[in-house]
Amino acid sequence: MTDTAQTWRGALGRAKALEFQEYALAIVVVLLFIAGAILKPDTFPTWDNIRNMLTQSSVVGVLAIGMTFVIATAGIDLSVGSIVAAAGVFGGIMVGTDGTSSLVFILAAILFATFLGTCNATAIAYGRVVPFIATLAMFSIARGLALLLNDKLPVSLLDLNGGSFGDPRPFSLLWFGVGRIFGIPVSVFVFLAIAILGWIVLNRTRYGRYVIAVGGNREAARIAGVPVRRIIFSVYVLSGFLAGISTVLLCARLGSASPVSGNLYELDAIGAVVIGGTSLAGGRASIVGTFLGVLTFALIFSLMTQLNMSTEIQQVTKGLIVLGAVLLQRPEARY
Amino acid sequence: MSRKRLAISVGAALVLALGATACMGDDDDDSAATTTDTATETTSAGGGSGETVKIIASVPPTDHGWLGAISKDAQAAAEKHDDVDFELLQAADADSQAQQIQQAISQKPDVLVVLPQDGAALTPVAQQAERAGIRVVNVDRLFTAPDAATATILGDNYQIGVLAATYIADQLKCQGNVVEIQGLAGISVTEDRTKGFTDTIKQKCPDGGLKIVASQPGDFNPDKGLTVMENILQAQSDIDAVYTHDDDMAQGVVQAIRNAGRDDEMFLTGVGGSQDAMQQIKEGGLYRATFLYNPNMAASAVNMARLIGLGEGFEELVPPEVPRQVVVPAAVVTKDNVEDYEQYAFD
Amino acid sequence: MTAVLEVRNLVKEFPGVKALQGVDLDVVDGEVHCLLGPNGAGKSTLIKCVSGAVEPTSGEILFLGEPLPQGDPAGSLKRGVATIYQELDLVPDLSVAESIFLAHEPRRWPLLDLDKMYRESEALLARLGHESIPVRAKVGKLRPAAQQIVSIARAISGNVRLLIMDEPSAILDEGEISTLFEVVRRLTAEGVGVVYISHRLDEIRRIGDRVTVLADGRTAATGLPATTPTDRLVELMVGRKVEQLYPDRPVGTDRVLLEVRDARRLPAVRGVSLQVRAGEVVGLGGLVGSGRTELLRLIYGLDPLDEGEVVLEGKPLRAGHPRAAIRRGLGLAPEDRKSQALVLDWSQTKNVTVADLGRFSRLLLLDIRKERETARKELRALNTVPDDPDRVVRLLSGGNQQKVVLARWLLRQCRVLLLDEPTRGVDVATKAEIYRIISELAAAGLGVLVVSSELEELAHICTRVLVMREGEIVAEVDGKDATERALLRHAVAPTDSPDLVEEVV
Repeated sequence: MTDTAQTWRGALGRAKALEFQEYALAIVVVLLFIAGAILKPDTFPTWDNIRNMLTQSSVVGVLAIGMTFVIATAGIDLSVGSIVAAAGVFGGIMVGTDGTSSLVFILAAILFATFLGTCNATAIAYGRVVPFIATLAMFSIARGLALLLNDKLPVSLLDLNGGSFGDPRPFSLLWFGVGRIFGIPVSVFVFLAIAILGWIVLNRTRYGRYVIAVGGNREAARIAGVPVRRIIFSVYVLSGFLAGISTVLLCARLGSASPVSGNLYELDAIGAVVIGGTSLAGGRASIVGTFLGVLTFALIFSLMTQLNMSTEIQQVTKGLIVLGAVLLQRPEARY
Repeated sequence: MSRKRLAISVGAALVLALGATACMGDDDDDSAATTTDTATETTSAGGGSGETVKIIASVPPTDHGWLGAISKDAQAAAEKHDDVDFELLQAADADSQAQQIQQAISQKPDVLVVLPQDGAALTPVAQQAERAGIRVVNVDRLFTAPDAATATILGDNYQIGVLAATYIADQLKCQGNVVEIQGLAGISVTEDRTKGFTDTIKQKCPDGGLKIVASQPGDFNPDKGLTVMENILQAQSDIDAVYTHDDDMAQGVVQAIRNAGRDDEMFLTGVGGSQDAMQQIKEGGLYRATFLYNPNMAASAVNMARLIGLGEGFEELVPPEVPRQVVVPAAVVTKDNVEDYEQYAFD
Repeated sequence: MTAVLEVRNLVKEFPGVKALQGVDLDVVDGEVHCLLGPNGAGKSTLIKCVSGAVEPTSGEILFLGEPLPQGDPAGSLKRGVATIYQELDLVPDLSVAESIFLAHEPRRWPLLDLDKMYRESEALLARLGHESIPVRAKVGKLRPAAQQIVSIARAISGNVRLLIMDEPSAILDEGEISTLFEVVRRLTAEGVGVVYISHRLDEIRRIGDRVTVLADGRTAATGLPATTPTDRLVELMVGRKVEQLYPDRPVGTDRVLLEVRDARRLPAVRGVSLQVRAGEVVGLGGLVGSGRTELLRLIYGLDPLDEGEVVLEGKPLRAGHPRAAIRRGLGLAPEDRKSQALVLDWSQTKNVTVADLGRFSRLLLLDIRKERETARKELRALNTVPDDPDRVVRLLSGGNQQKVVLARWLLRQCRVLLLDEPTRGVDVATKAEIYRIISELAAAGLGVLVVSSELEELAHICTRVLVMREGEIVAEVDGKDATERALLRHAVAPTDSPDLVEEVV
């Protein structure tokens, strides 16, 4: 083969890497932002609104980071939304009706969510239950628990402000909802921190490499010495853990733990992950893509609400934008 | 290897179950409605007049305070009568509710009390019941055909919209920006509350000084209410009043307004009469009013069902019969009269 | 003698790559025309153009004198061009008859005419001399050789005039290959023209009438008689003289690295004991189904042992744990590279380093640069061209893919290498390199255990060859005395003559 043909083939090989999807989605994000700036120049492209959109992304965003790991192993987690609700209510009960300890809430919620994630992990890695079925069961069970634990009632958390009503003390629960560090909302910090950590782990550690190997070719991974079962176990525990963090962020903003919250959040998380370029078949994953995917949904929601579009039109528009984002990606990445 | 797998799965399931029961606490009061697809029974003593009316009620699952109160009230009403054999069913969505009702039909009750997830979707199965000789009492969300129910009891959602619009228009003297946070799009409750509101605004403030600047669904869900309101706050720099369709959902809306530090800018109204709402109305400030739409109508429905089953009626009517449609009026609850209505509040 | 296929100056360009740069080929009826060439020469692209799976950029393709509809696989099929791909495109859950008639089932509208389907399937199989294959059996349950016959039956279920076969012998053993050749001869007797692609030069001599050699997207030579000497053919393919296909035979030492004692796992392995010494290349020959692959899997720990033990450098190895095996210095290059060894979407680097990531871990983080450089070094040592460490493995030729797998274990510095069909699907030039690599590894002190269906290959590169039959080792032949014929005689049950072996179902 001639030299030029060789170099072309090399370039083609590299260009076919994930970067293309990420560029495509970044373009979509920019286009949406520009559209918003044109249609609502006074209220959309403001710092305040950017903060708003980032804050709104953070709850589903944290879930989506966990979902990226799960989907990278060719698995799926349908239960995260329900786990968010259940963990919130559990945390609320642990605090008690007169309690004010943010630490108790945060620890309880995260531990409970991690526990539920571990149940998923056990069923899938050791019980050999198919991820779709196992997490579908947990979707139902966790929602049921959320309703059972406090007799279908929400738990008010407005007292968890570190003793300072209206201006929550740092590291109290409500501070996570409204507090700011250098002008940036705390929940955005948390989301960004988790996204960055997620990127580092997935791309620059042995563990992350193993995760993708398991999704890319499970048999080959096994033969190459990857501890397949342990890896699969770990991603569902991780997903549960991050759902717990997501719970803290949501309840902080809501000021209460509601048993009906988190409704269908898993679909938003999965949607963000998929349009970000991570393959549902496993083996190819992008945290950057997921991050952009979450932003895309936040942009769409913000824009459509600000334009006061009716629900019906919102649904259709959102679906079309998602379809467009996926079509922009190269063919092999569409499944 | 398989035994080990089995042990681990069973262990995980047991731990989960134990955890759940441990946290359930002291739910001994029998009015606690159970989760999807289970039933609670209250059997009659068998004494009294000798005739027992068998009533089966089908309602959406009680994950929402107002609906939770519906189940409790229905249950309580049934217990007050010796001659009622009552069973409560809950189903998560329209399809499962339809299936549940079909099964209920085969149990041949005397009367069915139905609060449908979706009036239109459940009309056929209600008609089926009526044709099988089982009378149907329709609660709150309307069926779409007249032969689907013998009697209907509903709150006047249109009137709620009217009352809310009247209150807001009076408070703002027909000048200002109003935001509407609706309930679940597409059902009669939501549509009536919106229509009553918009019609009345047009009527009371024909010069257009009172503008509805945003109208978005909150799905009767607090976190949806939160995120939607956050976005609307971004888009609208000057809001004078917020009309929400539901007290529970309004909690999310309230939080969004508070988080943005704009609670002095506007006031808010809800619907339903929850304890939280009444509390906040009493304290004064952002939450100014709610429109009572009492879940007690479920108790009324059960009483009506009993009368229908016994072949009796309202004694005040000549001849005594059960009217085809009973519309329960709504009331405005503000700081001035909140003490009167607190007893009816649900949590 | 009618020309069935005429290809003139065919050009096919993909973005950035010129796969075909003017190829000529002609095939007459009743001939077996072999297509030869290194991987990347354009053989696959050529047959995809002919079968319609891909549209050529320019040039012409005439089928029975008429231009063939381009880019229209269904159209080509209808005209009589059928292709059997290397990865048999069969659905495992369908029955034999259903597979044969997939997409053109006989109907008694609107229902399927099952009786007709079964009858005609049986007739087709009989035409190929394989009426013993049950038409209702699920394809997934058949052996690869039988699946291939089903593929061929599917191909001839239409009115085929040209049959293209892409490396059909790759999945077959000696006996099955003879059977395949019988089938091919039957078809050519009926006037069908066959294009036969293979890397195995001895096969070309056995079955071919004429040969065309492709190299770098061009026709290096066409219409050569199949009796052309091997050296000449190799020279045409590679563009230069290949000194020697086989390296010097390695001589083992006395130090025993790997010892297998009475390994048993029914039904495939029934009590095998063997030793591999440092510096040795031990071959494991036998027919498909003799248990060779299963034995390697047992040694490596992919399957648990029913009985017996594996001892590595004097210490027993924990059975059933591949990670333990790797830690102690074993490496396995499995039979099917693509589905068992490689993550196809990954770069060469990642595939090479995956078994030894600890080496690049510093404070939990991977040193990406070091990883890349190390991988490049390993690949270069194996003469992988290009040695671009970021190249996605899916795009590599079979030979280069195999080198990636070998590089992985060399990086790990293992003591004993288990190789399962290392030269399957690899072109001649790269085969020579792989033989050389194996020989060098042995010289460096490793022990190598090689499973191969090409007895010719084993006979040349091994210190000694063990022959397996039905789960047991039935013979051990010293490398110097090994010939293909001798090995085959051991591989087959003594009562049958080697030519009559027919293990189909």
